[in-house]
Order: sequence, then C-alpha cells, then structure tokens
Amino acid sequence: MTADVSTIFLLDVARGRGIEAELRDAVEEAQLVDWQTQWQPALMSVLQELARRGVPIANWPQSWHWNWREKTAQVKGLLAYRGFSVVCAGLTQGLMSINLNKLARIPAQRGKPLVYVDYLEVAPWNRADLGQAVRYRGVGTALLVAAAVLSRDEGFHGRIGLHSLPQADDFYRDRCGMTDLGPDADYQTLRYFEMTPDQVTVFLEGESGHEV
Amino acid sequence: MTTKRTMTLNLTDAEMQVLDDLSQRKDLTKTAVIRQALRLYQTVEARIERGEKLLFENEATKEKAELMLL
Repeated sequence: MTADVSTIFLLDVARGRGIEAELRDAVEEAQLVDWQTQWQPALMSVLQELARRGVPIANWPQSWHWNWREKTAQVKGLLAYRGFSVVCAGLTQGLMSINLNKLARIPAQRGKPLVYVDYLEVAPWNRADLGQAVRYRGVGTALLVAAAVLSRDEGFHGRIGLHSLPQADDFYRDRCGMTDLGPDADYQTLRYFEMTPDQVTVFLEGESGHEV
Repeated sequence: MTTKRTMTLNLTDAEMQVLDDLSQRKDLTKTAVIRQALRLYQTVEARIERGEKLLFENEATKEKAELMLL
C-alpha cells in the first residue's frame, strides 16, 4: 500500500520564506532510514554536547530514546494504528504515530472516540529547544493538523488526545489551544491534553489562515 | 484518501438496536461504529496471540476481571 501524499508548506527559517513539503499518511522504510542515518547522528551530537556541558539528563530532549523502527514494527498491519510523516528537501522532518482505539476524558466528551497521538517527534534540526538554529518551522503543527483532519474523516469530530512530554506542554496548551487535564498518574505523570470539536475548529481555522 | 468498498450488512433487530445505541452514545455514524469495532477486535486478537490477557479493572475497588475470549 502506498502512502497518500498532500502538499503542505513549512517555514524555511534561514531564507525566511515558505517551502513546499509532503505530508504522507504513513511512516515508510525511507522515513525509518532517515531516522536512523540522519536524525540519530544529529541527536547524538546534541546529546554529546549536553553531556560535555554537564547538563543533567532530566533536561535532555525527552524523546531521545524513542526507537521509531521498533514502534512501527509493533503496530504493523493493525488498523487502529496509523503513521504520518513530513518530508521536505528529500529528508524526513517529522514523524507521528496515532492510535484510534482511545476514548475522550473531558467530561462533556467522555467515552467518545478520539485520535490519540502516541508519539510525535520532529527532526533534531527543527527543534528550537536544542539550542541550535532551526531549519524548518511548522512540522509539529502540520502533524497535529493531520491528526485533527483524520479525526474528522473517521467521524470523531476532530477530537484529539495526547500525553505531552514536559518540553512540549506549552506548545500543546498555548500554540494549539488544547485543554490541559493535568498529570496522569497512570502514565508516567505526563500531562494529558485533549482537543474538543470546538477547539479543533478554532485550531484548524487558525492554521488555514496562518502564513508561513 | 484511501479507497473504500461497500458491503451490505444483515442484522437482527436486536443487533440493529445495539448498533443504534452505540452510534448515539459514541456520537458516531453506524459505519464508524462498525469500523471502530473491527479495529478493536483486531487489536485484541493480535495481543492475545502475543500471549497477553484482556483485563477489566474496577476503578473504585481496583478489582480485576479477565475477559475470556474463546
């Protein structure tokens, strides 16, 4: 099965203008090769620099141990699990894994199905929190838009849920307008966020009018 | 968009009633309920084949009960 590909635009930070990219509704072998051969070395050099500067491990990028090849293999062939990727300039810029078997927790939506974002990660060179110049902006947002659109396509009215790594809490709360339901004692005390159908409408309208 | 195929589904009155109820409670179309059920069934089957168990836990009492799938 081949991936459906949509054209999106990211911000090329160095040039200060938009650049065309692909949103693919799959994580394929080419993306896993990029993760292994491009992301991993880039991340490793960041980690070495953090270690050299004596930065505590608690302050390292919290997704550093994620293994996308394993994650993809674990859910291969299962209808409830889907992947998305963003490709720009011939390289994978972001990856997302989602689960369609989860239910909403916000009282007004409780028990209704949603798109749960299991993992969302952007390439190390696109992360502002790593203390280096960012290559492309908008990758994480593009993936979250894809989750919202899929949620609507599946009849879930745009509902999205996810557990956030602490370094991304502000992004989901402030940039995406998700509701923060607080730390989840059953999930490594990570904060749990949800987007309701109304919040999704605001989010998607904001993104469609957002210029890169 | 992934291509979808159409099928006819024959249900008893009781089954149709359950489908109607789930559709209303879950805020889903009947097609979406069936698709969701298929995903869940496949996930459960895959995990049981891996040697895992399906357990339900009472949130209040923490009592666990295993769902036996034959």
